[in-house]
Amino acid sequence: MPFLGDHQPGIDTPAAHFGLLAAFNLVSEDRARLARSLRDLTDEARALMEARPPERRDTAYPPAETGMLGPGGRTDGLAVTLSVGASLFDDRFGLAGRQPSELVRMPFLSNDRLDPAQTHGDLLLSLSADQPDVLLHALRQLMRRTRDNLVLHWMLDGYNRPDAAPVPGRIDNRNLLGFKDGTANLDITEKGLMDELIWVGADDGEPAWAVGGSYQAVRIIRMFVEFWDRTPLNEQQKIIGRDKASGAPLGQDRESDDPGYGDDPAGRRVPLDAHIRMANPRTAGTAGSRILRRGFNFSRGFDNAGRLDQGLAFVSYQRSLSKGFLAVQARLKGEPLEEYILPVGGGFFFALPGVTSEDAWLGQQLLA
Amino acid sequence: MVAALGLGAVLLLAGCGKDDGAGVRSEGSASGSGTGSGTGSGTGSGLAGQDLSGTTNDQLVLKAVADYKTWVVAEVDALVADTAKFTDAVRAGDVAEAKKQYAPSRVRWERIEPIAGLVEEIDGAVDARVDDFEGVDDPAFTGWHRLEYHLWEKGSTAGAKTFADRLDKDLATLDQKMKGLEFPPAAVALGPAELIEEVSEGKITGEEDRYSHTDLSDFAANVDGSRKLLELLTPSLQAKDATLTSEITAGFAAVDKSLSEYANPDGSFDLYTALQADDKTRMQAELADLSEKLARIPACSASRADRYARRPPHRSTPGQARAAGLPRVGGARVGRPRRGRAGRLHLRRGERAGPGPPGAVPR
Repeated sequence: MPFLGDHQPGIDTPAAHFGLLAAFNLVSEDRARLARSLRDLTDEARALMEARPPERRDTAYPPAETGMLGPGGRTDGLAVTLSVGASLFDDRFGLAGRQPSELVRMPFLSNDRLDPAQTHGDLLLSLSADQPDVLLHALRQLMRRTRDNLVLHWMLDGYNRPDAAPVPGRIDNRNLLGFKDGTANLDITEKGLMDELIWVGADDGEPAWAVGGSYQAVRIIRMFVEFWDRTPLNEQQKIIGRDKASGAPLGQDRESDDPGYGDDPAGRRVPLDAHIRMANPRTAGTAGSRILRRGFNFSRGFDNAGRLDQGLAFVSYQRSLSKGFLAVQARLKGEPLEEYILPVGGGFFFALPGVTSEDAWLGQQLLA
Repeated sequence: MVAALGLGAVLLLAGCGKDDGAGVRSEGSASGSGTGSGTGSGTGSGLAGQDLSGTTNDQLVLKAVADYKTWVVAEVDALVADTAKFTDAVRAGDVAEAKKQYAPSRVRWERIEPIAGLVEEIDGAVDARVDDFEGVDDPAFTGWHRLEYHLWEKGSTAGAKTFADRLDKDLATLDQKMKGLEFPPAAVALGPAELIEEVSEGKITGEEDRYSHTDLSDFAANVDGSRKLLELLTPSLQAKDATLTSEITAGFAAVDKSLSEYANPDGSFDLYTALQADDKTRMQAELADLSEKLARIPACSASRADRYARRPPHRSTPGQARAAGLPRVGGARVGRPRRGRAGRLHLRRGERAGPGPPGAVPR
């Protein structure tokens, strides 16, 4: 995957089979050390994505890389995306005046029970690739380069089932509730749509350095899957608003069919409080709140009640948090699905603009 | 002695340890490669048959090893005396005094722990944690931490006197064996990293002294022991890689500065429970960064044949030393969780299988 570009890879690039999020806090309050860490992350991310051959060292040294991917190296579509959290703009680095206007510490939202141990962070690395070993390798290499300054705060990994050949309006991917997830996601091949809804533009009133970047909302959403599995199918379908098997909106035949809310104002087919209807009412007034989702399913053992700890690492990108994620979230407040899910972590971040020249580095304009 | 020659040989090489560690993919950059830059040293090809001990640099290394042994032997002598104050208090039934002497009695042990690990049956007997046993009542659970358990958890010396006697006896054995031990130079090269690894694995997590919470005292002793080794190695290391040397020095300074926040005028340290979360986070990063730097020192133990021919090493590397049956330096593996304890655990099992030392009860 190409590293250079106006935008970072991993946002409007094709979905991958595996994802990993790793949030870090910075140890040093020295701006020059922050710059060095960002340069190192840039160099390592690029090396990983381009499968740059590692330096060969004498065998008496620790090897330059993990060796997990074999001597030839692989990328498997690896994308590394670097984002910054609101805390980067506190008083440590003199960046207070450069904060994106909507980048705040993620507040407690409806139904949240945020765990500080898996929420927020100065920096966030979002990795995606078609093989999980590539992600683990990349994480180790990126951390090794930045040990003096980056301390892991939380991390999460998981999987997706992207289609071999993307077809808008029809997907294979299902979440851990068993429902298709992402059917109505934005089509990344529509560049005009990306410019309209995803990328921060020059006229947005944002700092100049932020143009070409994107607001990133991350939500670690626990799903109470045992409870869900005990719920009648028709209730599950009414909660979501889709037929579980086909993915079609209730009352329609195909996954790609329009739900037809216009002639169902009372919610006889798709209940008014169904998840898909509240999230995206498909009106002219809500078209601007559409977001690009890049999340993945996760499973990480079980809790002390013996319940599986599974869920969705929700990740969305949008040009504006208030018009995008927060607008969607406000509509979803009180949805019946809340009974089955619990947001426990995540945070608001800002995905830096891309690197457009050989010598440039991620965050260079921010620190300039 | 083979290992000594090997270490000396490589410390001769210009560029030893020159790789900056951070540039793990820095091929093509001027500073990136630590390999091949020693070809101009003119000391021949291959290690066998060369007399390398006659050069100035060899003498620097061998002097470091000799000086280290002198220092360690003195430390063990003092360790026996320090620990006697602790065990005497236990035997006298003075819980308060014993608690007071616990952390100070461990300082010299923690300074020399990797090299003491060469005397493995002692290591497992005096410093194993309860995790290596089925429980606190396991009679094979001996040493400082057994006594720590009695003093802090039970608040009593009842039943502890036998473990006090055993600790004294084991340390007397250590004292005796250490004087006769030949120090492999590779151990001196690996030692600094081993000690910092000890801190990262056990002390910064509060696992080591879980009853007394005196982990920061052990932490400081590990760092002091690591710094001592580094100081002894500096003359040879400085000549080969001044950048690495200064990076390591800066790394120690950063750790020292963080730790000093918790030091008291009398030389003691605050309890682990006083350690602030953000300070702990910063220390973890400082230790991790220092570990990355220290990991490059043992590269100096590679043989010339390994360095130039890139064929499987036939002597002098840590792995080869193990294969050849040379003593393993405190485990000598970096990054394995609770490395030292794992090594002891194997040993404990062996003891149980055999006749075993006094106090060990086969099950």
